[in-house]
Amino acid sequence: MSDWLARLSQLPQQWFESPIAAIALTLGAYFLGIRLFKLMRRPSWCPPMLIAAIVIAAIIALLPIDIDDYNRGASWLMLLLGPATVALAVPLYQQLPQIRALWKPILMTLPLSATLAACYAVIIAAIMGAPQDVLASLAPKSVTSPIALSLAEELGGSRALLMGALLTTGVTAIFGVEWLSRVLRIRDPRLIGLALGINGHALGTVRAFEINSVAGAFASLGMSLTGAFTAVVLPLVWHLFY
Amino acid sequence: MSVLRGFLWLLVFLLLGQTLVRLFHIPMPSGVVGMLLLTLWFGYRGGMNSDVVRISQPLIAMLALLIMPGVVEIFFVADQFADQWAAIITALIAGTLLSVLSSLLLMRRYLPRNVDTGHAGAVDHE
Repeated sequence: MSDWLARLSQLPQQWFESPIAAIALTLGAYFLGIRLFKLMRRPSWCPPMLIAAIVIAAIIALLPIDIDDYNRGASWLMLLLGPATVALAVPLYQQLPQIRALWKPILMTLPLSATLAACYAVIIAAIMGAPQDVLASLAPKSVTSPIALSLAEELGGSRALLMGALLTTGVTAIFGVEWLSRVLRIRDPRLIGLALGINGHALGTVRAFEINSVAGAFASLGMSLTGAFTAVVLPLVWHLFY
Repeated sequence: MSVLRGFLWLLVFLLLGQTLVRLFHIPMPSGVVGMLLLTLWFGYRGGMNSDVVRISQPLIAMLALLIMPGVVEIFFVADQFADQWAAIITALIAGTLLSVLSSLLLMRRYLPRNVDTGHAGAVDHE
């Protein structure tokens, strides 16, 4: 009997030796998050992803396993981020005629918007006395995660803090775009999409696709251009100051 | 099988992106370079490969899921930044709202109005 109990207590550790359990946990939490999100009548301040992340964190805390055990398995899932980023070529190509017609205003406004997205947060945090490694983790907050991760590494920021910043930024950007576009009476899906993509990276882009495909395509454009622009400019500017 | 063939296309373009990034020291992730290359390729061929279209829809819908594992970690390193939370949260929320406001105003100022305001103007806010 005690032998059996000992084996039972070792089970969670053994599950997480292969990536299967971590992937199953992530998928399960994702669908649970979506269900709870619908039950809570779709609050814009709490996306399904945040609910799911809290569920996963709670389960890891309850089971005798480490966050590193989970990360090791979940990294297999994050491998798909690469091909998923390449897949954004499809909506981008579909909207190419629209984008070609608008390249001038986009080129004029996007670099400024992307710069402001990083500057506001860094300046506020710096005024409030945050140290350099915190600033480095906040600077790439509006950039899509594969780019942001390599940027934070280059600037010397914390990976975990950056991911938290990405989530907070995405949620706030979705809420802010929906609220402010209503206040400013902006209904153009191209504009809403661009604002979501520039400020809210992949989370904003997913939200834009829920609005319609035009908003989605402009969001992927905003997200990729912000990512490319920030990836080139941020390290240069950063090393001027630090 | 066509979904797998589409996936292979994505992987090939991801590898192409990685190759260019390494060869020319491009400060961008290989995924983004691969995306731009694939867009150029579609433009060159004058159309999209239907296999790629079929795999891209589920993959794009999965983007939020793919970021999730990274987010979980923040709950476990929270102590490390215990005395910084006020600055971090204020910077993120106020900073993002400000940048959303400025980008909306900028774009409204410079983006020409939609010509076909018929269906494209209607955004359903659920």
